[in-house]
Amino acid sequence: MRELSDKELIISYLKGDEKSIEFLIDRYLKPIYSFVFRFIGDSTEAEDITQEVFVRMWKNIKKYDQERSFKTWIFSIAKNASIDFLKKKKAIPFSKFENEEGENSLIDKLIVSNPLPSEIFEQNNIGSMLSSALKELLPKDRMILFLRYNDHFTFKEIAESLGEPLNTIKSRHRRALIRLKKLLI
Amino acid sequence: MHPLIVLVYSDMKKDYERLFTSLKPMEPPIGLFERIILAIKREKELQNTRRILFSFLCLLIVSVALAPFSWNLLEKQAVNSGIIQFLSLALSDVNVFISSWQSFSLAILESLPVMGIMLFTINMALALFTLRLFLYKKRLLLSYLMKKAY
Repeated sequence: MRELSDKELIISYLKGDEKSIEFLIDRYLKPIYSFVFRFIGDSTEAEDITQEVFVRMWKNIKKYDQERSFKTWIFSIAKNASIDFLKKKKAIPFSKFENEEGENSLIDKLIVSNPLPSEIFEQNNIGSMLSSALKELLPKDRMILFLRYNDHFTFKEIAESLGEPLNTIKSRHRRALIRLKKLLI
Repeated sequence: MHPLIVLVYSDMKKDYERLFTSLKPMEPPIGLFERIILAIKREKELQNTRRILFSFLCLLIVSVALAPFSWNLLEKQAVNSGIIQFLSLALSDVNVFISSWQSFSLAILESLPVMGIMLFTINMALALFTLRLFLYKKRLLLSYLMKKAY
């Protein structure tokens, strides 16, 4: 059962095998929890939201378009659940999530495709440095970097998960990298 | 894309991936998986309760709404068919009924308001089934309704 693909597990669940959904949850529990935790920044709330994500997944699994990637679908549920939570909580101004693109067209044109200086990796506390640098980024930019470098998503998958155009994701990614680099060096 | 750019870009990606491995991996807390499974089960039960409540309400509305009509129909058909007269005669003069019971029975059977009886019986069966459904799931339905009210 564990070797089955996401799609096969969903088909098996829809045919009546209740265990399939448990395998699917087990497979995505860690990445979804990490995603939500990075988004929200609080472990207790991340637990509740993660639970909500999987309940929403279960509720909508019959409507799930099997032509779409399950991974991007479940991450888009996680993103929406996290945003809903933040909206309710109003912990951060919601304007931060909207209409960011085109804010500084000059930044978009800058080249960031150069490797990081090796001194960065020589630091002992690089983990905590990176953590605090990431906290300085906008939640959405932070998510893009996490999905790209932690969860190894392609830009297309990030765009589908976050429900944004591919080019917006790419420019946000560029901007986030510039900002992160500035914070680290 | 120029091969050199591709090379530099892939180096950069590897660099950042390496950088991100320095972060403490986020492990979901123990018991979260079980909590999720339980929440899904609870949600399933809630959906079933909602479904039962909906069918209970539909049946209740249908049986209550149909009761006066089916009773009226039965009453009208019974009056028009003359069955009441046959029955009252049979009850008032038992000897006559016994002596010609075959003719009496045939006359009663012929004058039976079949449609009215059928509709009224279905209506009553529906009402009883609704009542049984409510009694069978009363705790579940009442707790759901109480939760909704608060």
